Amino acid sequence: MTRLTFTAASLVVALAACGSDENNFPTNSCADVTGTCVQIDGGDVAGLQTTVNTLSPNTTIVLGKGTFAMTNSLTIRAAGVHLIGQGIEATTLDYATTAAQVNGVDVQGNDFLVQDLTVQDAPKDGIRVEASDGVVFRRIRATWTTPSDSTNGAYGIYPVKSQHVLVEDSRAEHASDAGLYVGQCQHVIVRNNVVTGNVAGLEIENTQYADVYGNTAEDNTAGIVAFDLPGNPIVGRDVRLRDNIIRNNNHTNFAPGGTVAKIPAGTGTFAMASRRVEITGNTYQDNNTGDIALISGLVIEPDTTKWELNTATIAGQWDDLGLLPGVGAGTITNFRSENIVVARNTHMGSGLHPDLNDPLQFGVLLILIYATNPVDSVLYDSVGEPMFNSTDAAMNSNANRICVGGNTGGTFASMNLAEQSASSQVPFFRPAAPFAPFDCTTLNGGPIADVVLP
Amino acid sequence: MRSSLRPLGATLAALAVAAVAGCGADDAGGGVDLSQPVHVDVTAPPPTKLSAYNLFAWDPATGYTFNPTDERVVPYDLNAPLFSDYALKQRAVYLPPGAAASYDPELAFEFPVGTVLLKNFAFAPDLRAPTVGTRLIETRLLVRYPDGWQPLPYVWNADQTDAELAPAGAFEVIDFVDDAGQARTANYLVPQKNQCETCHARKPTPTASPAIVPIGMKARHLNRSYAYGGAVGTTNQLERLAALGMLTGAPATATIPAAYDLRPLDTGGVAAIPPAELDAAARSYLDINCAHCHDPNAVQGITSQLFLGHDNTDLFRLGYCKRPGSAGAGTGGFEFDIVPGDPDTSILYFRLSTETVGAMMPLLGRSVTHAKGAALIHAWIAAMPPVDCTTM
Repeated sequence: MTRLTFTAASLVVALAACGSDENNFPTNSCADVTGTCVQIDGGDVAGLQTTVNTLSPNTTIVLGKGTFAMTNSLTIRAAGVHLIGQGIEATTLDYATTAAQVNGVDVQGNDFLVQDLTVQDAPKDGIRVEASDGVVFRRIRATWTTPSDSTNGAYGIYPVKSQHVLVEDSRAEHASDAGLYVGQCQHVIVRNNVVTGNVAGLEIENTQYADVYGNTAEDNTAGIVAFDLPGNPIVGRDVRLRDNIIRNNNHTNFAPGGTVAKIPAGTGTFAMASRRVEITGNTYQDNNTGDIALISGLVIEPDTTKWELNTATIAGQWDDLGLLPGVGAGTITNFRSENIVVARNTHMGSGLHPDLNDPLQFGVLLILIYATNPVDSVLYDSVGEPMFNSTDAAMNSNANRICVGGNTGGTFASMNLAEQSASSQVPFFRPAAPFAPFDCTTLNGGPIADVVLP
Repeated sequence: MRSSLRPLGATLAALAVAAVAGCGADDAGGGVDLSQPVHVDVTAPPPTKLSAYNLFAWDPATGYTFNPTDERVVPYDLNAPLFSDYALKQRAVYLPPGAAASYDPELAFEFPVGTVLLKNFAFAPDLRAPTVGTRLIETRLLVRYPDGWQPLPYVWNADQTDAELAPAGAFEVIDFVDDAGQARTANYLVPQKNQCETCHARKPTPTASPAIVPIGMKARHLNRSYAYGGAVGTTNQLERLAALGMLTGAPATATIPAAYDLRPLDTGGVAAIPPAELDAAARSYLDINCAHCHDPNAVQGITSQLFLGHDNTDLFRLGYCKRPGSAGAGTGGFEFDIVPGDPDTSILYFRLSTETVGAMMPLLGRSVTHAKGAALIHAWIAAMPPVDCTTM
């Protein structure tokens, strides 16, 4: 009798789950939304795909609790679309059985918002939002269920060629390239996210006006990095990496190829081919190769002509940056790293076991120089400096305006990278604080302004 | 003489279309009736059944029969066709009575409102006998509405009697034997409506907003003969369209550019391409298969700065000793897009020949390798004078 009652009660609950909004939409529902709104029951893939492919602008799609077994990308090509689930533990877009070579969620449309859901096992990128103005990622997770698998998709959270982008309170995990990748964007805030188990945790590439704070990067090959790639028409500038936790980024590099495959495991942060960058107030801990590297783009592409950009086609403001002219008429180049402040960071326990397997053999060089001593907290490659001397501060130039100081537990070294080789090492310049001539404290052109999103 | 008669005929035909439309015949479910004209209503939502357009009849035993009314539905082929998992394709264009496309020497022709471009995708169990057991999978329409082109995917039913509008697309695993006798399995994707832009969106200028455009309807692709049969026989496609009053502004055919005719590749493989013509053949292949993304005015491929259009003369941006931007798994562990003389370390060849998801190109429309196409690109790179890219 007791058993029978129990069964009947279960049946009622099960029926209610099928028909009731309350059970399928416990956290978010169309009742919370003004304007056009569509609710899709958890798992209703056909309903979701038909809705998305017949969408009017300014529609909110609320996904119910459950797993959507996707066979194709969720492709959004309308403005003002909001895609909202029931939370990262409750609503999942699962691409494990998607055979097509697609991104999980693929968006082009202004004023897009994605919130409260998980995207997992996407064949390419998890959530890619391209060429859109006004983009919000909030409380989402992009992940792959097999850690350290080089066939995982490239990027988890990926706004690209977009403006006014906010990424907050989200997670990016197990990407075979970058977990959270901001590429060629303008006016970006990335805050309070967790990136873990990726090759690169968080990347800011060819991006202008980015404020990156409150994030935790842990157990990636490299933690949080900023760089320009050659040939991209947005010259990166005004990037703030502040008040982040960057620890234990010693994951074996599992990238299938490309530039990211060359990053040594154990890297906290690097700025490459970057200008007007502030790296401040961060906590670095137990990154085995080193915490911060400031390097020239020539390290990955030595041919300066490949860094030439035609000034007629460059996006955004660049003419106040003092960029080096190229050989071609009407061109500038952006391979140089310059005008960088590294200050008020805390360093603990890093640089004790440089990666000996990176293809560029940077880790091998560090072992030869440092042996069992910790690698200095901030390394500068000195590429483009007219003067370098291993012992005499007065014989070092700071033409690139690299400003380092006021860090807790932080040391500094510059190297004559051009003269280093496996068989012959030029000693590093390892000054005591305040690291003259690298003791400047401010950026040329004034501090980086706050990013304001509409 | 002929052109002076067109307007009257066009007016009458337009009246007939209007009369049919007025009956509310849309989606009547009665199937195709080729004694009636084509029915396209750009003021109404697209019909849910393909038969409502009355464009063509399909019979697996006898093939396609296009609506003969006023000869407004004209089948065509391309010099260099886009590869889509070995699908058998049949293309046709419909123009409303009295309306004509205007010629462009480089870009897709400008088409009037009401135009329909249709492309059928079919498979046969053994592609060496393509008319035996043929099954239509999908019919893709590009319909010219007043505000631009609309892509409309229609998926055929199992009985092969009609196709249904499928904005969400479809997915099917298809086993077949390819044109060389190899057993193949395609993870065949009918793109969802929003995915059509992946290939069809193009910016009029590099900084303008993208719009949907046709890909194949260009002078260089259409400039070839077609066996129309009947009294028309075999004649040049552009001349035929002009003679029907469906294309205006075309110059003398001899002055129109032509893409390399890749029919010999289909029949004889890369051995059928004379060495002196490898470059032209390969550039045509890349143009039709890649340049809708890899072009300065495209949307998807811009980041790569790799431009594979027929008119690109910048060898670096064509891939010579060019490192990819952020190709990730797409590199196959190689450094350069094209290593002249060495196809086996060239990323371009790797991405065209691999079947690894995340690495292969094009992004959409291919799940199996086009063996003859990959062989063509292999031969093209192998024939280039060798260069040591690492010293450049």
